Amino acid sequence: MADILEIRDLSVGYSTPRGSLKALRNVSMAIPDRRIVGIVGESGCGKSTLISAIIRLMAPNARVGSGAIRFKGEDLLARSEAEMRALRGTAISMVFQDPMQTHNPVLTVGRQMVDIQYRDKLSKAAKLKRAAEMLALVGIPDPEARLNQYPFEFSGGMRQRIAIAMALMAKPSLLIADEPTTALDATLEVQIIKRLKELQDEIGCSILFISHHLGVIAELCDEVVVMYAGEVVEQGSVRDVFHAPAHPYTRALLDCDPGHIKVKTRNLPTIPGNIPDLVDLPKGCIFAERCTKRHEACTARPAMWNAGAGHQAACHLLAVEETA
Amino acid sequence: MTDTTLKLPKARSETGEILHHLLRDPLGLAGLVIVTLIVASALFAPWIAPYDPVAMNIPDRLQGPNLAHLMGTDQIGRDTFSRVIWGGRVALQVALPTIGGAMAIGLLLGMIAGYGPKWLDSLIVLFFDTVRAFPTVMFALAVVALVGPSLNTVIVVIMLTSIPTYGRVVRTLTQSLKEAEFITAERSLGAKTPRIMAIHILPNVLGPLAVLAAMDIPTVVGLEAGLSFLGMGVKPPTPSWGSLLNDGYALIRNTPWLIIAGGIPLILTTLGFTFLGEALRDVVDPKLRGRGGK
Repeated sequence: MADILEIRDLSVGYSTPRGSLKALRNVSMAIPDRRIVGIVGESGCGKSTLISAIIRLMAPNARVGSGAIRFKGEDLLARSEAEMRALRGTAISMVFQDPMQTHNPVLTVGRQMVDIQYRDKLSKAAKLKRAAEMLALVGIPDPEARLNQYPFEFSGGMRQRIAIAMALMAKPSLLIADEPTTALDATLEVQIIKRLKELQDEIGCSILFISHHLGVIAELCDEVVVMYAGEVVEQGSVRDVFHAPAHPYTRALLDCDPGHIKVKTRNLPTIPGNIPDLVDLPKGCIFAERCTKRHEACTARPAMWNAGAGHQAACHLLAVEETA
Repeated sequence: MTDTTLKLPKARSETGEILHHLLRDPLGLAGLVIVTLIVASALFAPWIAPYDPVAMNIPDRLQGPNLAHLMGTDQIGRDTFSRVIWGGRVALQVALPTIGGAMAIGLLLGMIAGYGPKWLDSLIVLFFDTVRAFPTVMFALAVVALVGPSLNTVIVVIMLTSIPTYGRVVRTLTQSLKEAEFITAERSLGAKTPRIMAIHILPNVLGPLAVLAAMDIPTVVGLEAGLSFLGMGVKPPTPSWGSLLNDGYALIRNTPWLIIAGGIPLILTTLGFTFLGEALRDVVDPKLRGRGGK
């Protein structure tokens, strides 16, 4: 199966008054065609930097150090701004975290949905009809009438559906979803996830799904990438990673998921310590300081080791197993 | 109650929507009525004014209000009411192009400053600050001293000094909108900069700007009156609220009516446009619409 998106050895830094903040370091991953890949990691692990690099809407102080982002075999980093713009919204689309903020507050939903079809030479009536069809597709009842309403007349869940409808309007081959359900309540989350999966099937696109909710990733995704402090620490199929986590960080993350805790407790578990300083990085393994399985080897940077077929993790423990 | 809520405001345009809500606000209604009266009397001055505003009639000089002269006459027997009506024409002749021009230029510069590169922003802000550093009246006096008094000079000077007022507001609004998530969302869907500016930033800026303009009209009318009072605006026989005040000021010991006649339209204009501006502010934001009403 061909990969729709392939990221090779990507490093991105932010220039700050203290020096370069290395937000992403040698990140490699792939999104296969018609698959849903999830990225998990705590705040500040580089998820957002990664997406902004893919869609090339980076902060002004961001610098790509090295690496390549290949979309359908072509390096996006080598594209001009105009070429990049032609891709956005047609081949690559995005859904954002906060549905209350993703729509222009003073324009009706219909106007906004017609407007993003500016590339197509269709009559306004045809564009409106298509907008209504998209709204129906994401499960908004009475779409024709609702096109005349303003964003504030919709609930958060509805607005996120509209955002998804807008992103999928041009039938992109890659949809990037940046924590699209984090701002919604649990029942809505399930509905949106279900609908997203159905739509992905129908349109035949790939999805890069960012979340820190492990349950959602397990429910929706085929593959998962675990990131920590700007590095990929583990990746593999959802089943392998969740059932047999190879990296101590993934294991700790799973232990902290309230859904996994069987015993009644007042205090939810946490991973002690903080993310290391990304301006002044520690020498060896990035997770060593917080790791319960730390040993002498951890002062050196671990390589990516195979933990199974299509399942890798960056931990010295795997090296021990493999050589033993 | 029920049938009004059931009716979908489908056919109503954006402007219709704003008007509809404006009329439900008593203050907005009052403002709209006053503004309409002022504009209509200025537009139809030749038909409304009972006398020629510059025709002298020495035997009837310095009369108080009576049936023949509703607001009395001045020192050379000109009908004050006619002069007030024609003076409104001058006031709006100055206010509308001034505000319109300042708004258009301020909008353009403000949006460029707010959205464009940092160096351009600094340059435009420097321009705003430089212009703002001149006190309007002093600046106007200097220019008038240089090129002679005329209505066009007044218009150009007030317009130039009003640009920063609009430009700064637009710049700040654009800057905060630029960071808004819906702009990033639009960009992620492939929208170009001109498109984002025209379709997403402009409508969000226009509402507050319209409010600002409505509130600014009395200031400009007052400035024109002030300059005419000082003899730097319109030339003598032309009626203006400012020159009425000037005549009234000189003749305060003979009659109070001239100063009252010059002052009332100024007060009415201020109240009318301020009411309208305040009501507009609540109405241009679709979210605040229909609060209380409906």
